[in-house]
Amino acid sequence: MRRGLAFGVGLAAAVALIAGFTSTRAEGPATVYAAASLTGVFPKVSPSSNFQFAGSNQLAFQIRNGAPADLFASATPVYTQDLYRDGLVEKPRLFATNSLVLAVPRSNPAKIRSVQDLAKRPKLKLVVAGAKVPIGLYTREVLKRLGLLRVLRKTVSQEPDVKGIVGKLAFGQADAGFVYATDVRASSSRLIAIPLPPRSQPTVRYEIAVVKSTNNRASALELVADLLGEDGRRELKRAGFGLP
Amino acid sequence: MKGPFGAVLAVMTAVALAFLLVPILAIFLQIPLGQLLDGMRSPAAVDALIVTAKTTLVANALILLFGTPTAYLIATRDFRGRALLVTAIELPLVLPPAVAGIGLLAALSPIGLLGSTLDFLGFEIAFTQAAVVLAVTFVASPFYIRAGISAFEAVDPSLTGAARTLGAGPGRTFFRIALPLAAGGLGGGWALAFARGIGEFGATIMFAGSLQGVTQTLSLAVYEQFDVDFDVALAIGAELVVVSAAILLAVKLVPSWTSSTSTSTTLSAPSASR
Repeated sequence: MRRGLAFGVGLAAAVALIAGFTSTRAEGPATVYAAASLTGVFPKVSPSSNFQFAGSNQLAFQIRNGAPADLFASATPVYTQDLYRDGLVEKPRLFATNSLVLAVPRSNPAKIRSVQDLAKRPKLKLVVAGAKVPIGLYTREVLKRLGLLRVLRKTVSQEPDVKGIVGKLAFGQADAGFVYATDVRASSSRLIAIPLPPRSQPTVRYEIAVVKSTNNRASALELVADLLGEDGRRELKRAGFGLP
Repeated sequence: MKGPFGAVLAVMTAVALAFLLVPILAIFLQIPLGQLLDGMRSPAAVDALIVTAKTTLVANALILLFGTPTAYLIATRDFRGRALLVTAIELPLVLPPAVAGIGLLAALSPIGLLGSTLDFLGFEIAFTQAAVVLAVTFVASPFYIRAGISAFEAVDPSLTGAARTLGAGPGRTFFRIALPLAAGGLGGGWALAFARGIGEFGATIMFAGSLQGVTQTLSLAVYEQFDVDFDVALAIGAELVVVSAAILLAVKLVPSWTSSTSTSTTLSAPSASR
């Protein structure tokens, strides 16, 4: 009988424990779903918040499926506006800009000097991101403007976010890839940035929006205020982001 | 079984079963079966299946080819540092796949430890199926080797000793006595290694990348498709469930394996198991 009681208590404790884990929407630090390219800078703007960094497309998909995010920061307005249109987030705010560069490993195995060289290296190993990932979207835009879409045929890996591209280049696995200027700045010991012709440069804009279903609106709004305020702008600028 | 204890047992079991089975069933119930089959016929799913079949085949051949003698040697020899060596072999088992990925990069990438040697020898591993095979072999082989060591250890040394006394050479003793007696344990370990290899994700995406038709395995394809085409992701998930279930069933049903398992694990008291 006493064992039965112990079992009952154990069961109740297990249920309570799981319930405790699930209620991540309770008041407290905000949970921020943010574009992979913000990995370095966001924790500096708000050290007390919880972050999940991934491709903005994946994060938008997860929020759509009820993920417990309080804030969503996307590397393209496409996904914030998408969720806003469907009433899942509050009005998005523009908070940073960025630019694309062609990144190569420091050893530059394929001897790339300009974006045009991509077409001239027959055995080039190019890493890109999927067409739905913001960096993949921007990459295709750049190549289209330069009339170089055919170099996509030299793709050796389709990465889920920009961090995947940076990683492959940093280890010299791949020869070249398009990343954000801020990524090369963050790993300047391993990567070299080759600037793109200005006419091919896409407009990279970051938007942040409060998720409508949040129970943590106060913390979320505080983070947005920090981000748009002096401290946030200083950190973004230090990391190499442009300011709107 | 009556009374509160029985009731508690039943409730706990029901919760555990529901928890384990609902996500697996949900894969098949989320969309109509026809749509699921269409998803399996999509190019992404077909390519991923082919890539997985090829790389798994090669990886498992390597695991059996190199893992079996390794397990036999370690099981039958006593030497200094043996425990340490076994621990080292088991290490990839408990390492997070991301660590396996970064380790493979640190060792074999062009700027890695052996990068220039490989380059000198003319090996191009990056983003090839060879990279997938290496990642899968690295994370999966310890399952086989570990099980193999226990299986060979469980073979009664007096039997192999008798074979040697009767004039069989060490090779013949291995193939005719040790290997058949350890087959059950080896089979079980191999099934675990196979299943782990099919499910391999982290090390593969870090070390081999992901490209449809080249390095994108079923596990990687689920991840890439889940926000592109959810139906296809579900379909590939369903394929993986079926393959994994088939492996499990094979291990439990193949009679030679099950019977030889009971022989090898209860060899000291064979009469008790019959």
